[in-house]
Amino acid sequence: MFELGPQDWQAITVTLRLCLYTTVILLFIATPLAWWLSSGRSPGRVALQAVVALPLVLPPTVLGFYLLIVLGPRGPVGEALEAIGLNHLAFSFGGILVGSVLYSLPFAVQPLHQAFSNLGRRPVEVASSLGAGALDRFFTVTLPLTRGGFVVAATLTFAHTLGEFGVILMLGGSIPGETRVLSVLIYDHTEAMNYDGAHRLSLLLLLFSFFTLFIVYTFSRRAEIARI
Amino acid sequence: MTLRLRASLTRRDFQLSIDITLPLEGVSALFGPSGSGKTTLLRIIAGLERTRDAQVYFGDQCWQHGRVFVPLHRRRIGLVFQEHSLLPHLSVHGNLAYGYNRTPTAERRLHLPEVAEMLGLTELLARPVDQLSGGERQRVSLGRALLISPQLLLLDEPLSALDTASRREIMPFLARMAEQSSVPIIMVSHAPDEVTRLADRVAFIRAGTIERIESLRATLSRPDSPLFEDNGATSLLEGELGPVNRHGLRPLGLPAAQLWVYSDEPVGKRLRLRVLARDVSLALALPQQISIQNQLAVTIATITRLDEQRCLVACHMADGQLLLSEVTPWSAERLGLQPGLKLYALVKSVALLL
Amino acid sequence: MTGRRARIAELANQPIYCLACPGNYQNPPVPVMIYRPTAVSARLLAILLLSVFACTARANSLTIAAASDLRFALEEIVTAWREQNPDQDVRVVYGSSGKMSTQISNGAPYDLFFSADISYPQQLQAQGFTATDPVPYATGRIVLWSSILDASALTLADLTGSDIEHIAIAQPAHAPYGLRAQEALQAAGIWEQVQSRLVFAENIAQAAQMAESGAATVGIIALSLAEFPRLAQHPYHLIPASKHQPLRQAYVVTRRADNNAAALSFARFMTTDIARAVMARYGFAPPGEPTL
Repeated sequence: MFELGPQDWQAITVTLRLCLYTTVILLFIATPLAWWLSSGRSPGRVALQAVVALPLVLPPTVLGFYLLIVLGPRGPVGEALEAIGLNHLAFSFGGILVGSVLYSLPFAVQPLHQAFSNLGRRPVEVASSLGAGALDRFFTVTLPLTRGGFVVAATLTFAHTLGEFGVILMLGGSIPGETRVLSVLIYDHTEAMNYDGAHRLSLLLLLFSFFTLFIVYTFSRRAEIARI
Repeated sequence: MTLRLRASLTRRDFQLSIDITLPLEGVSALFGPSGSGKTTLLRIIAGLERTRDAQVYFGDQCWQHGRVFVPLHRRRIGLVFQEHSLLPHLSVHGNLAYGYNRTPTAERRLHLPEVAEMLGLTELLARPVDQLSGGERQRVSLGRALLISPQLLLLDEPLSALDTASRREIMPFLARMAEQSSVPIIMVSHAPDEVTRLADRVAFIRAGTIERIESLRATLSRPDSPLFEDNGATSLLEGELGPVNRHGLRPLGLPAAQLWVYSDEPVGKRLRLRVLARDVSLALALPQQISIQNQLAVTIATITRLDEQRCLVACHMADGQLLLSEVTPWSAERLGLQPGLKLYALVKSVALLL
Repeated sequence: MTGRRARIAELANQPIYCLACPGNYQNPPVPVMIYRPTAVSARLLAILLLSVFACTARANSLTIAAASDLRFALEEIVTAWREQNPDQDVRVVYGSSGKMSTQISNGAPYDLFFSADISYPQQLQAQGFTATDPVPYATGRIVLWSSILDASALTLADLTGSDIEHIAIAQPAHAPYGLRAQEALQAAGIWEQVQSRLVFAENIAQAAQMAESGAATVGIIALSLAEFPRLAQHPYHLIPASKHQPLRQAYVVTRRADNNAAALSFARFMTTDIARAVMARYGFAPPGEPTL
C-alpha cells in the first residue's frame, strides 16, 4: 500500500536537502544572532528581535513576494548574482533555500536566545578568566551547556522548513527535483486528483512532524530538569 | 607595582568616576555599600565591563587605553565570583584543570596536586560540582583561579553567599592563599570582618567614587572608620601563637606584648586578633587581684575626643602595635592621660579572626 | 607586609608559592581587539551557499510549463516522446497560464510554455522572453461537469437553480479557462445572479478537483479534464463554442531554450500523429490555420 513513486522520492530528496541545508545554515546564522540578542545592551537589539520574529506573523506570501522581487532576475540580488556569472535565485533551489532560511529564522533564534539567556554571562566570563578565547569558550562552555537549546533549535528549524509551503510556492514554483518539496507535491497530487499519492505523503509528514515534536519536548523537558 | 585605573561610566541610575593608583602588594579591599560601584570597578579591571575611554594599566602592561584592549583571557587574572561560577558540566578536576591546561607551560607556577592539597580538595576531585557544599564550591573556585598562575587575583565578595559555617571553613584558606601565593589580590567586600581579616589596605568606595585608600591599620585606628559599624573603634593585633599552658590558654605575640587566647591552631602560626576599644580599660598601676588576664604595658600615642561621653586613646604596645581604648572624658581627666604617658591596658575580651 | 610574609614563610611548613614575582612575566601581547566569532561560520556559510548555486545548473533536462488543462493529456505525450528520446529528462510544471507566464517573466527556468490561450505567449514575446513565435497547437472547450448531479441534463441557465450550491470556475484574472467560463455565464445572462455561488480555483485543474470532490456542486471545467478517466465516469454538458471567445491554445519556446534541441524536438513532436491522437482523445480540436 505504501509505495512511493519516483516523483515522491524526488520530492523527499529535495525536501530533506532543503531542510538539512536550512538547518545547518540557520545554526550558523542564529548562533551569533541569538548570542548578541541575549547579551547586548544596544538599542538595536529590540529592533532586531522584532525583525527576527517577523516571519512568525507575516503571511508567507508577503515574504515570498518580496523575495521574488529581490532575488529575481530584475531584483538587486538577482542582478548582482548574474553580474558575477551566477544564476539569479527565483524558481531555484538556492532561492527557496534563502526563503526557508528567512522563514525559519525565528525557530532557530528563539530557542538559542532562550538557552543563552538562561545560561547567563557568568560561565563565559569564568572561561575567559581561565584563559579561553572566544571560539574555545564557545565549544568548551557555551555549546555543552546549551546543547538542549541547539537540539531544539535544529529540530524546530528542520520541522518548520518541512512544513513550509507558501514561500516555496511563490518563490520556487513547483519544479520537480528543484523546488517541488513534499508540501507542494501534496498540493499538486490533490490538484491532479491523485488522492492516494496525497494521502501517502500527508501521512508521512504527519508521522514525521509528530516524531519531531516528540524530540523537541523530550529535550526541552530534559533541559528544564537540568536547570532545576 | 601598581594598578592605575581611570574610568568614568554613566548608567541609568548610577555614575562611576574613578581615577586611582592602587599599590599591588598583598590584599587590597574595595569596601563600600552595595550599589556603590565596587563590582563594576572590579569588572572594569577584568575587562568584563566595556567602557569607552577607560584606562587600565597593570604595572607597565597596558590593559586598556584608547584602541588598545586586552581581552580578559589574555590578562591572566584569576577571578573568583560570589557564587555559581563553577562550570556545571565539568567535575571538580575538570574545573581545576580548565584554566591550568590553558596556561602556557613555562608560566605554570602551581600544579594541580599542590593546590588540591592546599585547599583540601584532593578527595573531591572526581565529584560532579553539583554535589559540593557552598564552601567546597568556593574552594574549587579559588583553586581554579590559582591554577592559571595569575598575575592578579580578583575576588568579588567570595564569601558573601556562604553561611556562617562555610565562611568559617573557607576564611583560613583565603588567608593562607593571600599569605602564601604572593599574588596581589583585589577583593570586593561589604563585610567589615572579611576586610579586617584579610586586607592589607582598603579603598573606600561610595556612590561611584573612591573616597580614600589607606592601610588597614590606619583605617582601624581612625574612630570614624566605615569599617566599624556598631562596634566602635577596633584594634587589629597580630602575633605568633605559643604553646598551650596548663590552663589551656596560649600566648600570642612577643613576651612583652603578650595576649592570652584559646586556639587550636599550630604553634608558630600567625594570627590576627580584633580588640574592641570599648573592651580595653586603662590603669596607671598594674592592678592586683583582678580577673582580667590580659594586661599590657603601653604608651599613649594620641587622645581623641569622640563626643560628650567618649575619648579614644591610642596606645603603642611594647612591640609597636597600636591598641585603642575607649574611656570617658571624666576618667581621662582623673587619670591625667596625655601622650607619652606609660600605663597599663586591661583587655577584657579579644576575638581571634579565623 | 613583605617582611611579615617572609617571616611567615620561614616558619610555615607549607610550601611557598611564588606566583607573581614581578618581572617573571613577559608582558602579554597588546593587540587591538578584533573579536569576530562569526568569521569562521561566515566562511563555511559561503562554501555551503556556493554548493547550492552549483546545484542549479542541470544538463540534459527539459522543463515544460503547461496550462492545467493539459495535466493529463500532456503526461501521455511526454511518455510517448520519452520512448523516442530515452536520455532526456523531462519535467512538467502545471499551473494557470497567467501564473506560468508571470513566472517566466520573473526568470523561471522553463524551456517550453504551453499556454491555454495565445495571448500570454504573445505578451511574453512582446517583452522579449521568447525564442520563437507562439505556435497554436489546439483549441480548447469548456464543459459543465458535476459529480453530484447529471451534468449532461444541465444547461448554463440551470445554474441559477436552488439545487446548485457552489459553482467552481478558475480564476478569470489569470486562468484562460476561467475567463471563458465568465464569458459564457455573461452570455447566458446569469453572471450577476450566480456571483454568490462562485468559488474560484487557482487554475482549471483545481476547479475540476473541487467539482470532483463534491465541494462544488458543479464546475465549469476544461473538456480535456472531463475526458480524464476518473472524471469521465460522470457525464458533462458541452458549452457551445459560440458562448465565448475561442480558447486558442499556443506554445512558445522561451528565450533561455533558444539553442535547446530537446525543446525544439518536443515542440515538433506536438505536430506528429501520435501527439495529435492523444490531444483528440482528450477533446482538443486541432488548431485553426496559424494566424501568426
